[in-house]
Amino acid sequence: MIETKHISKTVNTSEGQLQILQPISFNVKAGESVAIVGASGSGKSTLLSLLAGLDQVSEGEIYLDGAGLHSMDEEQRARLRGEKVGFIFQSFMLVQSLTALENIMLPAEIAGLDNAKQLGQQILEQVGLGHRGTHYPNQLSGGEQQRVAIARAFITKPKILFADEPTGNLDAANSDKVEKLLFELNRESDTTLVLVTHDPELASKCQRQLHMHAGELTEITSEESTGASANDAQQQQAS
Amino acid sequence: MNNAFNLAWRLFKHEAKRGELTIILFAIVLSVASVLSLSLFSERLQSALTDQTAEFIAADRLLDADKPVDPQWISKATEMGLNTTKQVYARSMAFGNQQMTLTNLRAADQGYPLKGELKTSLQPFGLGQVTEELPAAGEAWAESRLFQALGVKLGDSIEVGDSEFTLTRVLTEVPDSGFSVFGGNPKVLIGYGDLEATNITGPGSRVSYTYFFTGESSVLDDYYAWLEPQLDRELHFWMSVEDDDSPIGRSVGRAEQYFLLASLLAIVLAAVSIAVAAQRYSQRHYDPVAIMKTLGASKSMVQRVYLYQISFITLLGIVLGAIAGLIIQQIVVSAIADKVAVSLDVWHWRPLFIAVFTGVICAVLFSLYPLLKLFSVPPLRVLRRDLGAGMSSRIVQFGATGSAILLLMWAYSQNIKISLILFVSGIVLVCALLAITYGLIALGRKLGQGKMGAWQLAWARIKRRAMGNSVQLISFSVTIMLLLVVLVMRNDMVSQWRDQLPQGTPNYFLSNITESQRPGLQDHFAQNGVETDVFYPVVRARFVAINDEKIRTEVTKEDDDKPSQGRNGLGREANLTWSNTLQNGNRIVAGKWFDGSTTKEPFGVSVEERIADRLNIKLDDILTFNIGSEVINVKVTSLREVNWQTMQPNFFFVLQPEVMGSFLPTYITSFNLPSDQKAKISTLMRPYASITLFDVDARINQLRAIVDQVSLAVEFILILVLVAGSLVLIAQVQASMDERQQELAILRTLGAKGSLIRASVVYEFVIIGVVAGAMAALANELTLYLLQTQIFQMEGSLHYAYWIIAPVVGALVVGILGAAGCWRLLTLNTSQLLRKMV
Repeated sequence: MIETKHISKTVNTSEGQLQILQPISFNVKAGESVAIVGASGSGKSTLLSLLAGLDQVSEGEIYLDGAGLHSMDEEQRARLRGEKVGFIFQSFMLVQSLTALENIMLPAEIAGLDNAKQLGQQILEQVGLGHRGTHYPNQLSGGEQQRVAIARAFITKPKILFADEPTGNLDAANSDKVEKLLFELNRESDTTLVLVTHDPELASKCQRQLHMHAGELTEITSEESTGASANDAQQQQAS
Repeated sequence: MNNAFNLAWRLFKHEAKRGELTIILFAIVLSVASVLSLSLFSERLQSALTDQTAEFIAADRLLDADKPVDPQWISKATEMGLNTTKQVYARSMAFGNQQMTLTNLRAADQGYPLKGELKTSLQPFGLGQVTEELPAAGEAWAESRLFQALGVKLGDSIEVGDSEFTLTRVLTEVPDSGFSVFGGNPKVLIGYGDLEATNITGPGSRVSYTYFFTGESSVLDDYYAWLEPQLDRELHFWMSVEDDDSPIGRSVGRAEQYFLLASLLAIVLAAVSIAVAAQRYSQRHYDPVAIMKTLGASKSMVQRVYLYQISFITLLGIVLGAIAGLIIQQIVVSAIADKVAVSLDVWHWRPLFIAVFTGVICAVLFSLYPLLKLFSVPPLRVLRRDLGAGMSSRIVQFGATGSAILLLMWAYSQNIKISLILFVSGIVLVCALLAITYGLIALGRKLGQGKMGAWQLAWARIKRRAMGNSVQLISFSVTIMLLLVVLVMRNDMVSQWRDQLPQGTPNYFLSNITESQRPGLQDHFAQNGVETDVFYPVVRARFVAINDEKIRTEVTKEDDDKPSQGRNGLGREANLTWSNTLQNGNRIVAGKWFDGSTTKEPFGVSVEERIADRLNIKLDDILTFNIGSEVINVKVTSLREVNWQTMQPNFFFVLQPEVMGSFLPTYITSFNLPSDQKAKISTLMRPYASITLFDVDARINQLRAIVDQVSLAVEFILILVLVAGSLVLIAQVQASMDERQQELAILRTLGAKGSLIRASVVYEFVIIGVVAGAMAALANELTLYLLQTQIFQMEGSLHYAYWIIAPVVGALVVGILGAAGCWRLLTLNTSQLLRKMV
């Protein structure tokens, strides 16, 4: 589903060029769930932004469901995102002036689906917020907002879902709920999931874990050893 | 397409409901309302004033001719629905009581005057009553001076040409009698039907024909368009109120310029507020745009969504603004109804068109750059919140908004000069402010050091938001500057008008006072409690040559009482006076005033600038005058600018006293007699039958009434602009307060005391207010100087007081508004604040 070949990212700073991502190559299979872990500033969000086509690679090639992201312009990437990608963010990124239901409908409307409202209502029920459809984001709790964001991510049934610290802003109870919901919907729709997190427990729920450190990527769990625990991952890293 | 529309509509609906569009909507409403009310009001006021001014030419338009015009021209005017009448002017001798005097004879046709009123009385120098009639056949009405000159009374007969007329009334006021202090020869009014029998209109006589027209201004314009190709520039002279060069015409003209200026400033104010609001609007939508792009929206879809949204906002703003504008002007009109009768019956489309046009242009052009910025927000912002718009160019921003403002002003005023003056001052102000902003940042680094108190917080904020603050500073400064311009301009203009006619302005003039009569007259008047003014010596002369070259042009207007002085009716006779001191209201523009250095012939003469220009008289030219049988030659030593708007005797030629030593002069003087003491005149004048009395009291009262009305109108316009400006300031503070929300929330969360936060915000606004006020005072001087000297034909002046007032008021107003805005935020608790931030 995702194929990367020697992708790297370099940015210009006042002190010259800075390579924030060393050349990386890895693949993600369809339906697989992959966690990218690492300390703040290690480059994991940069990697996510490249994989999702939100940013351009400096070198290398990325294929998303066979389409060469690296050679596309912003418009083509936007279209591809609209067709195949869903997103969940740490800060929820809901449009404040739209209601919960309208936020959920947004990707469907952008994609030009006629039954956006119906789909939105359906999925809103699924995330347990059927009664809060007319509420604005600032009238919802953090957990509720993230559930709306999850619903929004799944409304177009994307092939790939990118999640950036989906539980980073939530308390333990809400984190659990959101995690559960995320993996449940992921399984139901057979979506490929790539998530960036600090949280070892969340990471451990993914089939694979990739570790970012100073712009370099190391595979913690192989494609075969899915479901490895966080402890395993740390041990492997230590060895 | 449909999706973008739906989404835009949904966003618009929710944002409007949640009050998120208030600021930008308010800016558009304000711009449309202020432009509409101002231009609607000034248009109506102008037509009311023009209507009143029209009384001074007794019609809306005049056609002057040496000979009767083609009757078809008049029938065409009637056909087009215009009212017309005519009057014949002739200079003719009148005989009566075995005396004779030169008169200005007027033969008026039915309908005269089309505008204004004729007033008559039943005794010379009596108080006039309005009359709707004209002299009947065989009757004549004459001015008091004729009765004085001929020693006749009502009921007596006078002969004019071959006809005899019975004097049935004293003519006290004729609307179109001009503003010359010395109205020339006494006027005699007869019916048009009696003219032919007098036989004074034959070849060689000095006769002119004036045709009067009134009607809808557009019809008058159409008529002139039809007539113009048939007119002969040499023979015909078309005149409208606007061409009126009298003090009234000029006062109204200046007031119109002021209204135009005020409306232009309202447009700029509106533009500033929309620019500020649009920037804020754009910034607020960075996140939604990044989200939409992330979710797959194409650039064109995002563009459509926001263009639709801006259209909805503009449309709503225009509708609300138009309603508000109508209400405002209705209130203003009824507030001044008892002072100036402004008709609400006539609906003027132009102001509505201008207001809508302004709203659309402002909304489109000023939101263009913020929108372009908005469209360039990268989707990556969803992950990296620090990312702003992809494009940023102050040059594009200032260039686009600047040229839009200039274009708007030009389109509206059709006057590139006034537009450029305002624009250039604006540019200077903006450049100076940018320099100041950077200076402040540097200064702030030093001043803001030390323990973190309110003062340090204020400086830190100013420093951190340097660019944002510079925009805010510019908008505050421009607003304050514009308010200063309208305020100071109004003060200068109104005080100048009042100065023209201070209390005690002479309303009677005396001429033909002999040397021997002078002391006695002074005493006699003093005994009756009336002060006489300066006695000017006058010798009647004939102007014959310039550098020995005979002149054919008729020179002076002193003998003429017709308003159309422009082309004909000038006499070659001139009143010469002499003096060693320059008269009040006179200014030397070339050469030198007599300094006693010329001790032998030719002695010097000072010539009025405009007549010099017309007759091509230069410094050092030799002018020749005939006085009786004597010939005198004088050399032009200076050219003078004369303020003809002062009600005092003014002279084209002032000679060096030495040259006139041998001539016996008569004197001119003036005095003030309150209207209610008019009856005293006969007592005052009884011993001096040979002295000519000119009564300009009615004229002065008319002039004063108009000046008062115009001043009042200007005052209301000022208030309107002040209100609009204050609202803009409030909107600006409100907009910038939102930007401070986040910081306030953080400070609150960290446990900062309300008093610390409040004080820091107030300090910040006070600093901005002081700088904005000071810069506004600076730019105000530049703008005013250019406006006064280039547009209003006034003396440029400096206004030092405002150098202090502006920064203080700026600090106070901006500080108070800032504090008020801050108070509102601080009444929310921290969690509400944090929630608002999300």
